[in-house]
Amino acid sequence: MNLRSAFLLPARVWSAVFLATPLAIVCAYSLLTRGDYGGVERPWTPENYTRLLDPLYLGILWRSLWMAGLATAVCAVAGFPLALFIARAGRRRNLLLQLVLLPFWTSFLVRTYAWLFILRDTGLVNTALLRLGVIRSPLPLLYNEGAVLLGLVYNFLPFFVLPLYATLERLDPALPEAAADLGATPLRTLRRVILPLAAPGIAAGCVLVFIPCLGAYLTPDLLGGGKTVMLGNLIQNQFTTARDWPFGSAASLVLMLVSAAPLWFLLRREAR
Amino acid sequence: MNRRHFFLAAGTAAGCARDARPRLNVYNWSAYIDPAMVARFEREHGVRIRYGTYESNEEMLAKVITGNSGWDVVFPTHSRLGPMARHELLTPLDHGRLPSLGNLSARFQKPGWDPELRWGVPYLWNATGIAYNRRQIPEPRGWDALWSPALRGRLTMLDDPEDVIGICLLKQGLAFDSTNRAELARAKAEAIRQKTLLRAYMNAEVRDQLVAGDVLAAQLWSTTAAQAIHSAPQLGFAYPAEGFPLYCDNAAILRESRRTELAHAFLEFLLEPVAAAANARVAESATTNQAARALLPDDPVLYPDDGIYARGLWPPALPAEAQRYRDRLWTEIKSA
Repeated sequence: MNLRSAFLLPARVWSAVFLATPLAIVCAYSLLTRGDYGGVERPWTPENYTRLLDPLYLGILWRSLWMAGLATAVCAVAGFPLALFIARAGRRRNLLLQLVLLPFWTSFLVRTYAWLFILRDTGLVNTALLRLGVIRSPLPLLYNEGAVLLGLVYNFLPFFVLPLYATLERLDPALPEAAADLGATPLRTLRRVILPLAAPGIAAGCVLVFIPCLGAYLTPDLLGGGKTVMLGNLIQNQFTTARDWPFGSAASLVLMLVSAAPLWFLLRREAR
Repeated sequence: MNRRHFFLAAGTAAGCARDARPRLNVYNWSAYIDPAMVARFEREHGVRIRYGTYESNEEMLAKVITGNSGWDVVFPTHSRLGPMARHELLTPLDHGRLPSLGNLSARFQKPGWDPELRWGVPYLWNATGIAYNRRQIPEPRGWDALWSPALRGRLTMLDDPEDVIGICLLKQGLAFDSTNRAELARAKAEAIRQKTLLRAYMNAEVRDQLVAGDVLAAQLWSTTAAQAIHSAPQLGFAYPAEGFPLYCDNAAILRESRRTELAHAFLEFLLEPVAAAANARVAESATTNQAARALLPDDPVLYPDDGIYARGLWPPALPAEAQRYRDRLWTEIKSA
């Protein structure tokens, strides 16, 4: 064994034990039959996959794609100026980056619960607006798709900002300067120079936001009040109340495939 | 606070890694026992208890169904007791080792789901009813009160298919545990009709919003409602006229257990009035123990009078096919 493979061995063992094996189990489960009280039984069947073609489940998949796409778009619109601002902030750069990362110091769950306190009827926003006399009765800020979208954007915005920042930071400041010297307006410089150069960062950010949003289940549950079902909730329900592990496994694998599509696209792009 | 004490105790237990005392493995719902009672049992019997908690029957079943989960005592809800016994997961109880069974209330001496108490000792119970704000809405008489347009946006239902579909059936005079597809379709239509009024499907988390006044009415468990009422006396709890589901968790011994003698001693200990009262107090739930009742304050929410109790029903386990159909309906309701 040469040195190179010796060094790679731990990573290979890790991947085999914690990635390949569980994945193989999920694949096997997805082709088995539901046990009455959880677990799986024989016979082998493709039924769990054909069931997913039911319009009910396709609708859920579509809704998940739509919500994840919307959240990604909002992250892109909000995240691009932020990343650009940080990349050009000079000495305050590191401080600003730390601020973007600050929310990660607490648990995802705690932060989502915090939104409940901000958005609820007797929460921060409604109380402030009521006191100021802007509204007469509390706004229904919680338990709708808007709240889910807000939660997704809030939680995953840093995943968009960080790769984009890395790209923008390496961007040679001489290039936009040259564009300006040659008479380009700032908007044109942004469109013709900065955006094309930032494209890999934007693509990476989009993939990093889109994939976790697609599988999100806590945010729709807590901020959506369980009134909308995303793919993540469907899967979670199969492993808990519904006790249908094979169907849950099949849905998980389909989710993985759908998530892998943008990743594959990104890799192909980079290879070129 | 309860949980913190528990973790302290658990931490100490974990500290004595080379403890020679025999070990009993108890797997229970979270916040469902007085940690001081666990410590007392350890002291009195010279044993140590490895105590774990779960949040749903499914979570517990998923572990014990393998037959080598490492637990000795579990606390399944009444409807899971029969199926678990049929799956040969439970040890029949030896009544000779449980002399205090007589402490149970008469109604739990011969419960419908296990008339001879062969598989489990009834532990704590609760009902599903309607928690409401007495200052803002009249007392709900029946389940149809949860379809009142006046509650728009300030009404929640449990995030639980059995309870939601069940009361949609009850409301229409049908059986809570119906397996008839036409009846279930009617229940689904009722649930979807209600959704426009609904704020959210949520379980115990609704407590804070009831107390704050954001939510005026909620389909809720009597135990959670009793906790909310303690901190907000303007709240009330109604047991609807059409009937309501009752749930009872039972201490049972797994067949895989190699310490059935010690496990019986633990079940016997849970039946002792002082321990049973302490556990009911900490769990803020209703005890099945008549002798412990005397040690607890009377609470009309947790312990409704006999006339109301008579309308309660104990949902049985559903056949697998019906269960699967209901899960589909639930997905349809939730994504409507």
